Amino acid sequence: MSLVGNKCESISLVEASRDEILSEVTPDDVLKLDKITDTYLCSPEANVYDIDFTRFKIRDLETGTVLFEIAKPPTDFGVDNEGGEDGSDDPLDPNAGRFVRYQFTPQFLKLRTVGATVEFTVGARPVTHFRMIEKHFFRDTLLKTFDFEFGFCIPFSRNTCEHIYEFPTLPHDLVEEMIAAPFETCSDSFYFVDNHLVMHNKADYAYNGGINN
Amino acid sequence: MGFLTILKKLRQKEKEMRILMLGLDNAGKTTILKRFNGEPIDTISPTLGFNIKTLEHKGYKLNIWDVGGQKSLRSYWKNYFESTDGVAWVVDSADPRRLADCVRELHSLLREERLSGATLLVLANKSDLPGALSLQEIREVLDLDSIKTHHWRIVRCSAVTGENLLEGMDWMLDDIASRIFTLD
Repeated sequence: MSLVGNKCESISLVEASRDEILSEVTPDDVLKLDKITDTYLCSPEANVYDIDFTRFKIRDLETGTVLFEIAKPPTDFGVDNEGGEDGSDDPLDPNAGRFVRYQFTPQFLKLRTVGATVEFTVGARPVTHFRMIEKHFFRDTLLKTFDFEFGFCIPFSRNTCEHIYEFPTLPHDLVEEMIAAPFETCSDSFYFVDNHLVMHNKADYAYNGGINN
Repeated sequence: MGFLTILKKLRQKEKEMRILMLGLDNAGKTTILKRFNGEPIDTISPTLGFNIKTLEHKGYKLNIWDVGGQKSLRSYWKNYFESTDGVAWVVDSADPRRLADCVRELHSLLREERLSGATLLVLANKSDLPGALSLQEIREVLDLDSIKTHHWRIVRCSAVTGENLLEGMDWMLDDIASRIFTLD
Protein backbone atom coordinates (compact mmCIF):
# COMPACT_ATOMS: atom_id res chain seq x y z
CA MET A 1 0.00 0.00 0.00
CA SER A 2 1.35 3.35 -0.86
CA LEU A 3 1.65 5.81 1.96
CA VAL A 4 1.09 8.72 -0.26
CA GLY A 5 -1.78 9.64 -2.42
CA ASN A 6 -1.95 12.09 -5.22
CA LYS A 7 -1.40 15.76 -5.28
CA CYS A 8 -4.15 17.76 -6.87
CA GLU A 9 -3.55 20.69 -9.12
CA SER A 10 -3.46 24.18 -7.76
CA ILE A 11 -6.79 25.44 -6.62
CA SER A 12 -7.51 29.10 -6.39
CA LEU A 13 -8.36 30.10 -2.86
CA VAL A 14 -10.04 33.24 -1.76
CA GLU A 15 -8.17 35.89 -3.59
CA ALA A 16 -7.13 38.82 -1.51
CA SER A 17 -8.42 41.99 -2.98
CA ARG A 18 -5.65 44.49 -3.38
CA ASP A 19 -6.89 47.01 -0.82
CA GLU A 20 -7.29 44.31 1.81
CA ILE A 21 -3.63 43.46 1.65
CA LEU A 22 -1.90 44.85 4.67
CA SER A 23 0.83 47.23 3.77
CA GLU A 24 3.38 45.75 6.13
CA VAL A 25 3.05 42.31 7.66
CA THR A 26 5.86 41.53 10.07
CA PRO A 27 7.23 38.19 11.29
CA ASP A 28 5.79 38.96 14.72
CA ASP A 29 2.35 39.43 13.18
CA VAL A 30 2.32 36.00 11.60
CA LEU A 31 3.87 34.31 14.63
CA LYS A 32 0.88 35.56 16.61
CA LEU A 33 -1.72 34.20 14.20
CA ASP A 34 -3.94 31.65 15.93
CA LYS A 35 -5.73 30.36 12.88
CA ILE A 36 -5.31 29.95 9.16
CA THR A 37 -5.62 33.22 7.25
CA ASP A 38 -8.64 33.88 5.03
CA THR A 39 -6.59 35.65 2.41
CA TYR A 40 -3.08 35.86 1.10
CA LEU A 41 -1.23 38.52 3.06
CA CYS A 42 0.83 39.66 0.11
CA SER A 43 0.35 39.82 -3.62
CA PRO A 44 2.22 37.48 -5.97
CA GLU A 45 4.11 40.56 -7.16
CA ALA A 46 5.67 41.00 -3.72
CA ASN A 47 8.20 38.35 -4.74
CA VAL A 48 10.59 40.81 -6.31
CA TYR A 49 13.51 38.44 -5.72
CA ASP A 50 12.17 35.79 -8.12
CA ILE A 51 12.28 33.18 -5.37
CA ASP A 52 10.93 30.01 -6.91
CA PHE A 53 10.22 26.77 -5.06
CA THR A 54 11.28 23.96 -7.34
CA ARG A 55 11.02 20.83 -5.21
CA PHE A 56 9.27 19.47 -2.14
CA LYS A 57 10.17 16.12 -0.68
CA ILE A 58 9.19 14.23 2.43
CA ARG A 59 11.05 11.10 3.54
CA ASP A 60 10.71 8.68 6.39
CA LEU A 61 14.04 8.49 8.20
CA GLU A 62 13.26 5.13 9.79
CA THR A 63 12.90 3.28 6.49
CA GLY A 64 14.65 5.74 4.18
CA THR A 65 11.54 5.78 1.99
CA VAL A 66 10.68 8.87 0.01
CA LEU A 67 7.01 9.40 0.81
CA PHE A 68 6.34 12.35 -1.37
CA GLU A 69 8.26 14.23 -3.98
CA ILE A 70 7.22 16.83 -6.47
CA ALA A 71 9.60 18.82 -8.62
CA LYS A 72 9.05 21.51 -11.16
CA PRO A 73 10.30 20.49 -14.57
CA PRO A 74 13.50 22.37 -15.22
CA THR A 75 13.03 25.39 -17.44
CA ASP A 76 15.50 26.07 -20.17
CA PHE A 77 18.26 28.19 -18.83
CA GLY A 78 18.09 31.76 -20.03
CA VAL A 79 14.65 31.44 -21.57
CA ASP A 80 12.38 34.18 -20.44
CA ASN A 81 8.73 33.38 -19.94
CA GLU A 82 7.59 36.88 -20.54
CA GLY A 83 5.88 37.60 -23.79
CA GLY A 84 5.54 33.93 -24.72
CA GLU A 85 2.39 33.40 -26.73
CA ASP A 86 1.78 29.94 -25.41
CA GLY A 87 2.61 30.90 -21.84
CA SER A 88 1.02 28.40 -19.49
CA ASP A 89 0.47 31.03 -16.82
CA ASP A 90 -3.23 31.55 -16.50
CA PRO A 91 -3.76 35.29 -16.46
CA LEU A 92 -7.08 34.81 -14.67
CA ASP A 93 -5.56 33.12 -11.66
CA PRO A 94 -2.75 35.14 -10.11
CA ASN A 95 -2.67 32.75 -7.16
CA ALA A 96 -1.96 29.63 -9.19
CA GLY A 97 1.07 27.99 -7.71
CA ARG A 98 0.54 29.44 -4.26
CA PHE A 99 -1.65 26.63 -3.09
CA VAL A 100 -0.95 22.90 -2.86
CA ARG A 101 -3.30 20.11 -1.82
CA TYR A 102 -1.79 16.99 -0.29
CA GLN A 103 -3.53 13.67 0.10
CA PHE A 104 -1.97 11.14 2.44
CA THR A 105 -3.04 7.83 3.92
CA PRO A 106 -3.66 7.50 7.69
CA GLN A 107 -0.24 5.83 8.04
CA PHE A 108 1.35 9.21 7.46
CA LEU A 109 0.24 10.37 10.91
CA LYS A 110 2.04 7.42 12.50
CA LEU A 111 5.50 8.37 11.22
CA ARG A 112 8.13 9.07 13.84
CA THR A 113 10.99 10.90 12.14
CA VAL A 114 10.55 12.70 8.87
CA GLY A 115 12.75 14.86 6.69
CA ALA A 116 11.05 17.65 4.79
CA THR A 117 13.09 19.17 1.98
CA VAL A 118 12.44 22.29 -0.02
CA GLU A 119 14.53 23.39 -2.96
CA PHE A 120 14.36 26.91 -4.29
CA THR A 121 16.10 29.17 -6.73
CA VAL A 122 16.63 32.89 -6.45
CA GLY A 123 17.00 35.50 -9.17
CA ALA A 124 19.58 38.13 -9.98
CA ARG A 125 19.37 39.99 -6.69
CA PRO A 126 21.10 38.72 -3.57
CA VAL A 127 18.61 37.83 -0.85
CA THR A 128 19.42 38.77 2.72
CA HIS A 129 17.81 37.57 5.93
CA PHE A 130 15.56 35.10 4.16
CA ARG A 131 13.25 33.64 6.76
CA MET A 132 10.43 31.12 6.62
CA ILE A 133 7.61 30.92 9.12
CA GLU A 134 5.21 28.06 8.59
CA LYS A 135 2.17 27.34 10.72
CA HIS A 136 0.13 24.15 10.62
CA PHE A 137 -3.40 24.03 11.96
CA PHE A 138 -6.16 21.48 12.31
CA ARG A 139 -9.28 23.64 12.40
CA ASP A 140 -8.30 26.22 15.03
CA THR A 141 -5.69 24.08 16.78
CA LEU A 142 -2.07 24.97 16.11
CA LEU A 143 -0.17 21.75 15.43
CA LYS A 144 3.31 23.03 14.65
CA THR A 145 5.24 26.19 13.87
CA PHE A 146 8.46 26.25 11.88
CA ASP A 147 10.54 29.38 12.14
CA PHE A 148 13.83 29.19 10.27
CA GLU A 149 16.25 31.75 8.91
CA PHE A 150 18.03 30.77 5.71
CA GLY A 151 19.92 34.03 5.88
CA PHE A 152 21.76 34.98 2.72
CA CYS A 153 21.07 33.51 -0.71
CA ILE A 154 23.57 33.89 -3.56
CA PRO A 155 22.24 35.47 -6.78
CA PHE A 156 21.07 32.84 -9.30
CA SER A 157 21.61 30.11 -6.71
CA ARG A 158 19.77 26.84 -6.24
CA ASN A 159 19.45 25.94 -2.58
CA THR A 160 17.99 23.15 -0.51
CA CYS A 161 16.96 22.87 3.10
CA GLU A 162 15.92 19.69 4.86
CA HIS A 163 14.37 19.81 8.30
CA ILE A 164 14.64 16.45 9.99
CA TYR A 165 12.31 16.31 12.94
CA GLU A 166 10.35 14.10 15.25
CA PHE A 167 6.77 14.05 14.13
CA PRO A 168 4.70 15.71 16.84
CA THR A 169 2.91 13.08 18.88
CA LEU A 170 -0.73 13.91 18.47
CA PRO A 171 -3.45 12.64 20.80
CA HIS A 172 -5.28 9.62 19.38
CA ASP A 173 -8.62 11.46 19.30
CA LEU A 174 -7.12 14.31 17.32
CA VAL A 175 -5.59 11.90 14.81
CA GLU A 176 -9.00 10.25 14.30
CA GLU A 177 -10.60 13.65 13.80
CA MET A 178 -7.94 14.70 11.30
CA ILE A 179 -8.46 11.53 9.29
CA ALA A 180 -12.24 12.02 9.35
CA ALA A 181 -12.03 15.65 8.27
CA PRO A 182 -10.07 15.84 5.03
CA PHE A 183 -8.59 19.23 4.10
CA GLU A 184 -9.37 20.76 7.48
CA THR A 185 -5.65 20.45 8.23
CA CYS A 186 -4.07 23.52 6.65
CA SER A 187 -0.82 25.42 6.60
CA ASP A 188 0.31 28.95 5.89
CA SER A 189 3.91 29.49 4.78
CA PHE A 190 5.25 33.00 5.04
CA TYR A 191 8.57 34.07 3.55
CA PHE A 192 10.32 37.24 4.60
CA VAL A 193 13.31 39.06 3.17
CA ASP A 194 14.71 41.67 5.57
CA ASN A 195 11.45 41.41 7.51
CA HIS A 196 9.33 42.21 4.45
CA LEU A 197 6.77 39.62 3.47
CA VAL A 198 7.61 38.51 -0.07
CA MET A 199 5.68 35.24 -0.41
CA HIS A 200 2.70 33.59 1.18
CA ASN A 201 1.77 30.04 0.21
CA LYS A 202 -0.99 27.79 1.47
CA ALA A 203 -1.56 24.08 1.59
CA ASP A 204 -4.20 21.73 2.87
CA TYR A 205 -3.99 18.09 3.76
CA ALA A 206 -6.15 14.98 3.86
CA TYR A 207 -5.16 11.78 5.64
CA ASN A 208 -7.96 9.52 4.48
CA GLY A 209 -6.29 8.23 1.32
CA GLY A 210 -7.10 4.57 0.72
CA ILE A 211 -10.14 4.68 2.97
CA ASN A 212 -13.56 4.22 1.37
CA ASN A 213 -14.96 7.65 0.96
CA MET B 1 25.44 37.56 35.85
CA GLY B 2 27.66 38.57 32.94
CA PHE B 3 26.57 38.81 29.34
CA LEU B 4 28.53 35.73 28.38
CA THR B 5 26.83 33.74 31.12
CA ILE B 6 23.44 34.79 29.84
CA LEU B 7 24.40 33.85 26.30
CA LYS B 8 25.60 30.48 27.44
CA LYS B 9 22.38 29.87 29.31
CA LEU B 10 20.24 30.91 26.37
CA ARG B 11 22.02 28.56 24.03
CA GLN B 12 22.14 25.78 26.54
CA LYS B 13 18.36 25.73 26.61
CA GLU B 14 18.19 24.81 22.96
CA LYS B 15 21.60 23.14 22.68
CA GLU B 16 21.79 24.51 19.19
CA MET B 17 24.93 24.48 17.06
CA ARG B 18 25.72 25.90 13.66
CA ILE B 19 28.18 23.96 11.54
CA LEU B 20 29.58 25.32 8.28
CA MET B 21 30.94 22.87 5.70
CA LEU B 22 33.39 24.43 3.28
CA GLY B 23 36.15 23.35 0.93
CA LEU B 24 36.97 23.43 -2.77
CA ASP B 25 34.40 22.29 -5.29
CA ASN B 26 34.27 18.52 -5.81
CA ALA B 27 35.77 17.88 -2.36
CA GLY B 28 32.63 15.93 -1.40
CA LYS B 29 30.83 18.27 1.01
CA THR B 30 27.32 17.48 -0.19
CA THR B 31 28.05 13.77 -0.38
CA ILE B 32 29.30 13.80 3.22
CA LEU B 33 26.22 15.72 4.31
CA LYS B 34 23.89 13.28 2.58
CA ARG B 35 25.77 10.26 3.84
CA PHE B 36 25.60 11.62 7.36
CA ASN B 37 21.83 11.89 7.04
CA GLY B 38 21.18 8.54 5.43
CA GLU B 39 20.35 9.77 1.96
CA PRO B 40 21.35 8.12 -1.32
CA ILE B 41 24.62 9.52 -2.71
CA ASP B 42 24.43 8.23 -6.27
CA THR B 43 23.22 11.40 -7.98
CA ILE B 44 24.81 14.55 -6.62
CA SER B 45 25.38 17.58 -8.77
CA PRO B 46 27.60 20.58 -8.01
CA THR B 47 26.11 22.84 -5.34
CA LEU B 48 25.32 26.22 -6.84
CA GLY B 49 24.14 27.73 -3.58
CA PHE B 50 23.71 25.98 -0.24
CA ASN B 51 22.29 22.81 1.27
CA ILE B 52 21.05 23.05 4.83
CA LYS B 53 20.15 20.21 7.15
CA THR B 54 18.62 20.73 10.53
CA LEU B 55 18.60 17.65 12.70
CA GLU B 56 18.99 16.37 16.22
CA HIS B 57 22.13 14.45 17.03
CA LYS B 58 23.47 13.47 20.45
CA GLY B 59 20.89 15.73 22.06
CA TYR B 60 22.03 18.77 20.07
CA LYS B 61 20.03 20.65 17.51
CA LEU B 62 22.39 20.93 14.56
CA ASN B 63 22.12 23.36 11.69
CA ILE B 64 24.59 22.22 9.06
CA TRP B 65 25.31 24.50 6.11
CA ASP B 66 27.04 23.12 3.04
CA VAL B 67 27.92 26.00 0.72
CA GLY B 68 29.12 25.48 -2.84
CA GLY B 69 32.92 25.59 -3.29
CA GLN B 70 33.31 26.74 -6.89
CA LYS B 71 35.65 29.65 -7.28
CA SER B 72 32.84 32.03 -8.26
CA LEU B 73 30.97 31.17 -5.07
CA ARG B 74 33.81 31.50 -2.57
CA SER B 75 33.45 35.26 -2.26
CA TYR B 76 29.98 34.59 -0.86
CA TRP B 77 31.23 32.30 1.94
CA LYS B 78 31.59 35.27 4.27
CA ASN B 79 27.82 35.66 4.30
CA TYR B 80 27.58 32.39 6.23
CA PHE B 81 30.20 33.00 8.95
CA GLU B 82 27.97 34.67 11.53
CA SER B 83 27.27 32.54 14.61
CA THR B 84 29.23 29.58 13.26
CA ASP B 85 30.34 27.21 16.03
CA GLY B 86 32.26 24.73 13.92
CA VAL B 87 33.83 24.59 10.47
CA ALA B 88 34.11 21.25 8.67
CA TRP B 89 36.79 21.77 6.02
CA VAL B 90 36.53 19.05 3.39
CA VAL B 91 39.61 18.07 1.37
CA ASP B 92 39.80 15.79 -1.67
CA SER B 93 42.72 13.59 -0.58
CA ALA B 94 43.06 12.18 -4.08
CA ASP B 95 43.55 15.54 -5.82
CA PRO B 96 47.08 16.67 -4.91
CA ARG B 97 47.16 19.20 -7.76
CA ARG B 98 44.63 21.41 -6.03
CA LEU B 99 46.06 21.25 -2.53
CA ALA B 100 47.85 24.57 -2.98
CA ASP B 101 44.49 26.17 -3.67
CA CYS B 102 43.05 24.33 -0.74
CA VAL B 103 45.66 25.47 1.77
CA ARG B 104 45.33 29.08 0.67
CA GLU B 105 41.55 29.09 1.08
CA LEU B 106 41.74 27.36 4.44
CA HIS B 107 44.22 29.74 5.96
CA SER B 108 42.38 32.80 4.67
CA LEU B 109 39.27 31.40 6.34
CA LEU B 110 41.09 31.01 9.63
CA ARG B 111 41.94 34.71 9.61
CA GLU B 112 38.25 35.63 9.60
CA GLU B 113 37.29 37.35 12.79
CA ARG B 114 33.76 35.99 12.76
CA LEU B 115 35.12 32.45 12.76
CA SER B 116 37.65 33.10 15.50
CA GLY B 117 35.82 31.02 18.08
CA ALA B 118 34.97 28.13 15.78
CA THR B 119 36.24 24.59 16.11
CA LEU B 120 37.91 23.25 12.95
CA LEU B 121 37.44 19.70 11.72
CA VAL B 122 39.44 18.80 8.62
CA LEU B 123 37.86 15.92 6.77
CA ALA B 124 40.42 14.24 4.51
CA ASN B 125 37.79 12.79 2.20
CA LYS B 126 38.11 10.16 -0.55
CA SER B 127 40.84 8.45 1.45
CA ASP B 128 39.60 5.14 0.05
CA LEU B 129 40.64 6.12 -3.49
CA PRO B 130 43.88 4.77 -4.94
CA GLY B 131 46.54 7.48 -4.94
CA ALA B 132 45.00 9.32 -2.00
CA LEU B 133 47.55 11.16 0.10
CA SER B 134 48.12 9.95 3.62
CA LEU B 135 46.76 11.82 6.60
CA GLN B 136 50.26 12.92 7.55
CA GLU B 137 50.92 14.29 4.06
CA ILE B 138 47.74 16.33 4.08
CA ARG B 139 48.43 17.56 7.56
CA GLU B 140 51.80 18.85 6.39
CA VAL B 141 50.62 20.37 3.13
CA LEU B 142 47.78 22.16 4.88
CA ASP B 143 50.24 23.37 7.52
CA LEU B 144 47.79 22.40 10.22
CA ASP B 145 50.37 22.38 13.00
CA SER B 146 50.79 26.13 12.59
CA ILE B 147 47.20 26.69 13.67
CA LYS B 148 47.17 28.05 17.21
CA THR B 149 43.99 30.09 16.99
CA HIS B 150 41.45 27.30 16.70
CA HIS B 151 40.82 23.89 18.21
CA TRP B 152 41.39 21.57 15.28
CA ARG B 153 41.61 17.93 14.31
CA ILE B 154 42.09 16.07 11.04
CA VAL B 155 40.50 12.71 10.26
CA ARG B 156 40.76 10.54 7.18
CA CYS B 157 37.32 9.69 5.92
CA SER B 158 35.28 8.54 2.99
CA ALA B 159 31.80 9.73 2.20
CA VAL B 160 31.32 6.61 0.10
CA THR B 161 32.24 4.05 2.75
CA GLY B 162 31.13 6.26 5.64
CA GLU B 163 34.47 5.75 7.37
CA ASN B 164 35.09 8.17 10.26
CA LEU B 165 32.32 10.63 9.37
CA LEU B 166 30.48 10.13 12.62
CA GLU B 167 33.68 10.00 14.68
CA GLY B 168 34.91 13.28 13.20
CA MET B 169 31.58 15.01 13.62
CA ASP B 170 31.21 13.77 17.20
CA TRP B 171 34.65 15.10 18.12
CA MET B 172 33.70 18.52 16.75
CA LEU B 173 30.37 18.58 18.58
CA ASP B 174 31.99 17.61 21.88
CA ASP B 175 34.64 20.26 21.43
CA ILE B 176 32.03 22.92 20.68
CA ALA B 177 29.86 21.79 23.57
CA SER B 178 32.74 22.06 26.02
CA ARG B 179 33.27 25.66 24.92
CA ILE B 180 29.77 27.06 24.63
CA PHE B 181 27.53 25.17 27.00
CA THR B 182 27.83 25.52 30.73
CA LEU B 183 28.31 22.29 32.61
CA ASP B 184 25.23 20.93 34.30
